Amino acid sequence: MPRYGIAIDSTKCIGCHSCRVACQNQNELHFDETFNWIKSKDRGQYPSYGKEFIPLQCNHCENAPCQRVCPTGATYTSKEGVVLVNPKTCVGCKYCMEACPYKMRIIDHRRGIVEKCRLCIELVREGGTPACVTTCPTQVRIFGDLDDPNSAISRFIAQTGAQPLRPDLGTVPKIFYKRS
Amino acid sequence: MQQSAWGWLIITYLFLAGAGSGAFIAAVACDLLAPDWSKALARAGSLVAGPLVIIGTLCLVFDLEAGFWQPWRQFYMIGNLRSMISWGVIILSIFIPLALLYAAALNEITFVGKLAQKYVTAIEIIGSLFAIATATYTGVLIAVVNGVPFWNTPLMPVLFLASAISTGLAAAMIVAAIIDVKTIKTLSNFALGHVIFLSVEGLVLMLFVFMSLTRSTEAALSASGLISGTLSPYFWGLVVILGLVVPFILSVFEFLEYGKMPKSLVVGADLLVLMGGMSLRALIIFSGTPPQII
Amino acid sequence: MDNSGITRRKFIIGSAIGGASLVASNYLNLESWATTEESTQDLKVTPTLCDGCGNWCAIKVYTRGKRIWKAEGIPIAGNNLGRICAKGHGLLHEVYNKDRIKSPLKRTGPNKFEPISWEQAYREIGQRVQEIKKEHGPESFFWLQFPEGNAGLCSRFMNALGSPNVFSHATTCFLPRNIGWWLTIGSAKPEHDLEHTRFAIFLGRNIAAGLRLRALSDLSKAKDRGARFVVVDPRFSELASFAHQYVQIRPGTDLALMLAIANTLIAEKLYQKDFVDKYSQGFDELAQKVKGYTTEWAEQKTGIPRGVIGKLAHDLAESAPQAFIHRGYHGALGTQYKNSLQLVRAVACVNGLLGNFNQRGGMFFHPEVKLGRLDPQKFPKTPELGDSMVDGSGASDRYPITPVGLGLSQAIPELALEGKLKAGFVYHNNPLRTCPNPARVIEGYRKLDLLVSFDYILSETASLAHYILPESYYLERDDVVHTNHCFNSKQVAIRQAVIEPLYDTKPMVVILIELAKSLGIGNYFNFTLEEYNQAALAPFGITLERLKQEGVIDLGGKWEPGPPQFKTPSGKFEFVSSTLQDLNLPAVPEWEEPLVVPDQSDIHSFRLIHGKQAHHTHAKTINQEYLKEISLLNDMTRVWIHPERAKALGIKDGDCMTISNSVGKGRARALVTDGIHRDCVFLPSSYGVYSRNLRTAFGFGISYNDFLPTYFDPVLGHCMSNEIIVRVEKTPA
Ligand SMILES: Nc1nc2c(c(=O)[nH]1)N[C@H]1C(S)=C(S)[C@@H](COP(=O)(O)OP(=O)(O)OC[C@H]3O[C@@H](n4cnc5c(=O)[nH]c(N)nc54)[C@H](O)[C@@H]3O)O[C@H]1N2
Ligand SMILES: Nc1nc2c(c(=O)[nH]1)N[C@H]1C(S)=C(S)[C@@H](COP(=O)(O)OP(=O)(O)OC[C@H]3O[C@@H](n4cnc5c(=O)[nH]c(N)nc54)[C@H](O)[C@@H]3O)O[C@H]1N2
Ligand code: SF4
Ligand code: SF4
Ligand code: SF4
Ligand code: SF4
Ligand code: SF4
Ligand SMILES: [Mo]
Repeated sequence: MPRYGIAIDSTKCIGCHSCRVACQNQNELHFDETFNWIKSKDRGQYPSYGKEFIPLQCNHCENAPCQRVCPTGATYTSKEGVVLVNPKTCVGCKYCMEACPYKMRIIDHRRGIVEKCRLCIELVREGGTPACVTTCPTQVRIFGDLDDPNSAISRFIAQTGAQPLRPDLGTVPKIFYKRS
Repeated sequence: MQQSAWGWLIITYLFLAGAGSGAFIAAVACDLLAPDWSKALARAGSLVAGPLVIIGTLCLVFDLEAGFWQPWRQFYMIGNLRSMISWGVIILSIFIPLALLYAAALNEITFVGKLAQKYVTAIEIIGSLFAIATATYTGVLIAVVNGVPFWNTPLMPVLFLASAISTGLAAAMIVAAIIDVKTIKTLSNFALGHVIFLSVEGLVLMLFVFMSLTRSTEAALSASGLISGTLSPYFWGLVVILGLVVPFILSVFEFLEYGKMPKSLVVGADLLVLMGGMSLRALIIFSGTPPQII
Repeated sequence: MDNSGITRRKFIIGSAIGGASLVASNYLNLESWATTEESTQDLKVTPTLCDGCGNWCAIKVYTRGKRIWKAEGIPIAGNNLGRICAKGHGLLHEVYNKDRIKSPLKRTGPNKFEPISWEQAYREIGQRVQEIKKEHGPESFFWLQFPEGNAGLCSRFMNALGSPNVFSHATTCFLPRNIGWWLTIGSAKPEHDLEHTRFAIFLGRNIAAGLRLRALSDLSKAKDRGARFVVVDPRFSELASFAHQYVQIRPGTDLALMLAIANTLIAEKLYQKDFVDKYSQGFDELAQKVKGYTTEWAEQKTGIPRGVIGKLAHDLAESAPQAFIHRGYHGALGTQYKNSLQLVRAVACVNGLLGNFNQRGGMFFHPEVKLGRLDPQKFPKTPELGDSMVDGSGASDRYPITPVGLGLSQAIPELALEGKLKAGFVYHNNPLRTCPNPARVIEGYRKLDLLVSFDYILSETASLAHYILPESYYLERDDVVHTNHCFNSKQVAIRQAVIEPLYDTKPMVVILIELAKSLGIGNYFNFTLEEYNQAALAPFGITLERLKQEGVIDLGGKWEPGPPQFKTPSGKFEFVSSTLQDLNLPAVPEWEEPLVVPDQSDIHSFRLIHGKQAHHTHAKTINQEYLKEISLLNDMTRVWIHPERAKALGIKDGDCMTISNSVGKGRARALVTDGIHRDCVFLPSSYGVYSRNLRTAFGFGISYNDFLPTYFDPVLGHCMSNEIIVRVEKTPA
């Protein structure tokens, strides 16, 4: 089984939000619901002033606190290592939202359940690539199998030393960032 | 990115579950330790424990979304024994019947009460264990949340237990005063209880807040938000001064003056303790800051 | 799978409690969100062209039953290479916008509309047109559009009526950019071989928000190969986040930077001598002219340290000819400053010194596709109409090099007030919002005896029209064969209906054909859209069916580097423009001051500049809730201001500011940032909807047009949209 992840090169992100809307459509989300966010960070003063755009989404943690606290077991990890929510058993207690240190979960009030990035697993299983990856004009995201040392993502991580966000939190994320 | 998923319903739940289990513990203590002159308080405590926890639990259920509209989903909620909510559901579903049974026993309500009287000591022992479990678990519930470093400390269950006992005692005393105004006089005996538990709670609270200042950046951010930030007026005003210091002083006087305090002040002190307990829960929830991730 | 264990345990405990009978087993079926009810309905994929902006990206739209679901880019399409921007995705929802026009409308009072039939609309418009034509002549008619693929047919329509007055958005967008390049190299829009470049400067061109998806994709590849990019902009644009170097420039002074770079390249003999000798004309005059423009002098003008300027020249030279300065679009090189035409000429000249034309990693002319035409029997020639327009475009005594067919749309209100224009057709354009000085525009358009709008919503302009003929939304309509998405090879593409029209609306070509009949010019529109398209494709042996199936077809003919050819009067690259020389205008780039400058002694005085955001197009997408939400969530309507200037005014980040000048007044919250030049404030250009009929966006934000006087640049007549001085102050509490 592959173990999927995404590598993100934030030095290429232009904050265009295409990934956000592509994801909303792929997953049929309302305009005010999203599975990914573009945050920005300023540093320094001109002439060394800089601004970085950082795309955020669920990290599909191997040691996922959201899954640990979920009373119903609605949050589970798929065979490909993708952390998913079963909408049929989720009760909407929101405990997982509190537990996620990255705050990458949202509540869908229409269905009364919690949702999050699904790594477009249904698309991926059909041989596709996640919507946020394909639409990105500057190819910020690289999707692939972390267990395959020859995959584009593994090579990218090996070459650039890309790191997860806040690895010290101990959740073992599968989204890696190259930030400078 | 959702900042705080939980709001007033969960806060109320945390508070009522604490106060209810605290009231149970207070009732048992009165019944076992000071049987004669404290009967009124034991009865009041036992009467109030179950309903408070039930209302609290209803708040929790109201806060559910799909689990509220499709109640059968609630059966799934004991599906993961690594989750404190699953444990909570189990603890509550044992404690609530016990608390009701206890109220029936002490107040001789219907034949059930008469029957239960026979096993009252057993109910008191097992019930106390589950009461402690309930009060502690509400603390553990948020203490295990990695998502909010401020909550992520073993002191949290201790703080919640301490607060549960003082608010439980206060709830019991208010109900006792309602049931039988004359007991107000004897109630002064229990002012000592307040003095002790409010001190403990205050101590744990200060430990918790000040230790948070050095635990992690995010915990420090939350803690300084309470001490000197936007939430500080509420923290110092509602929790520390009105919720701890004032009732503490009133309780000291009440104990020393033994029964000579105006009734309004006696009940007033108890109301303040309840208000303080609720504010404490609210402020802990609202001051939770997620880790800085970028 | 360890979760199956959890599931089973949950099931067992669930049943033990006694509720299991309620739990239908499908509730335990994990991953069942993947199969919602709709997804079982028939899935269809239709290729078409996005109409979100002028890029016409090729997309595949997925529908489930009758409902649009999502879109993906078509990978071979030259302009977008399989990518789609936020608008492209978000505008799919626009079909379902509650504000859409559902049938032809007749305005019966201020903001009062009555639905009418197409027949009635055609009949009444036909009558009015005949009356006005009789009384004031056909020259009193105008057409205004953001040119779509069918722009040629729209011009034909007007010419058939007897009017040369076809206006476009050019005067508010790109006019000097096109003319400057055309004068220098004989082509208005050279392309960049970004993918293979080694060094590039983006001067007032922010492809990361004024999007071009192809360019971004190439940029990303070039970055991987180690190319370096510099952004020169008064503010830290989105592209600056991507680039390696950001150079802050005083707005309106790019011309000085270019002249100094040209001087350095020439003085230090860093230019490509080969190219200059073989392919250019007028080098010596240029060398002579730029001599005085030292880096010291340019530092004074631009505020950029001389060392940085010199370094830019050296970096360019080092990578030449695999280096370029971007050709520009709207920012700085577009219709923004009085010196924009000179600036474009200077940018072109520096590129000439780099000798990058038709070179790998340089600039090139994209291969042109010659579409077929209907036979003249069905497609008779329209009357000859002279070579100038009512606004002076093309007239030797007014704007001799401003092309007829682009026009100066900000002149329309003035001409209406003078009584020279009496009736107008506005298509796919919204002058009440996107032209300067809205109060004046409203006044002018109110004067018209007949205003017909073709829109799909009641935009500001449509809300003022006498008749509104609703075009079907682009996802509901067939259009003409397009070639706009070509990049480095020849391609044809088509926009086609993805779903049936939801309301009583029609494609524009159909409206033109039908309207022509009631206007007595039906003989010029004696064909169907099908026939027109089949004729267009005939030269390539491609059937319409095949194109509709594939969406985009590549015809080959890929660009290859080689010796350049220039379609200028001299046949050479013109450092000295022979056209400008003939007209007695400055023919070699020389310094020209911007029209206005902020008052340095007044702490309240700023230049107001503007720019695109990647998730909005002009002023037309903010009424789309998916796109508006991005602005809301990220607080993106704020006006940028420098920390020190803000401090002097007592303004803190997020404070409300009042911005005013003689044209208008408005309020916006402050974004206090180091990423902006002290002399100016920056206003994102997508906001300020004031049509009450756009319910999602009404009243949201302000627009730079609210402060822009009605200007005409002396040479071309464009609107000079950054020549605005405003007073900024903290809004009193
Ligand atoms: N406020 C403001 N003004 C600007 C700019 C800006 O960014 N902001 N940018 C300047 C530039 S660079 C340019 S190019 C011009 C552009 O000027 P415009 O072309 O006027 O700009 P848009 O806002 O795109 O307006 C397009 C109009 O077409 C309508 N429309 C959209 N889709 C369809 C359709 O399918 N069929 C028909 N018939 N109509 C449709 C929209 O409702 C809208 O009324 O504006 C210039 N002026
Ligand atoms: N998302 C999106 N994409 C679009 C469009 C859209 O509306 N939305 N519209 C399309 C159209 S019609 C056009 S014209 C293009 C426009 O594309 P661009 O020309 O790239 O767009 P702008 O944002 O108008 O201007 C670019 C930059 O010029 C800067 N600028 C302003 N004044 C000066 C100056 O004096 N000197 C320098 N060096 N820079 C200056 C602004 O700060 C801005 O960052 O985009 C096209 N693509
Ligand atoms: S990022 Fe949050 S939601 Fe995603 S797996 Fe980790 S803890 Fe769970
Ligand atoms: S909200 Fe749903 S997914 Fe989250 S913890 Fe509760 S039951 Fe699990
Ligand atoms: S992987 Fe799929 S679900 Fe996750 S953010 Fe990207 S598009 Fe959305
Ligand atoms: S689509 Fe790509 S560039 Fe645009 S915001 Fe998303 S990650 Fe950044
Ligand atoms: S750039 Fe975006 S809005 Fe413009 S045509 Fe392409 S996808 Fe559509
Ligand atoms: Mo434009």
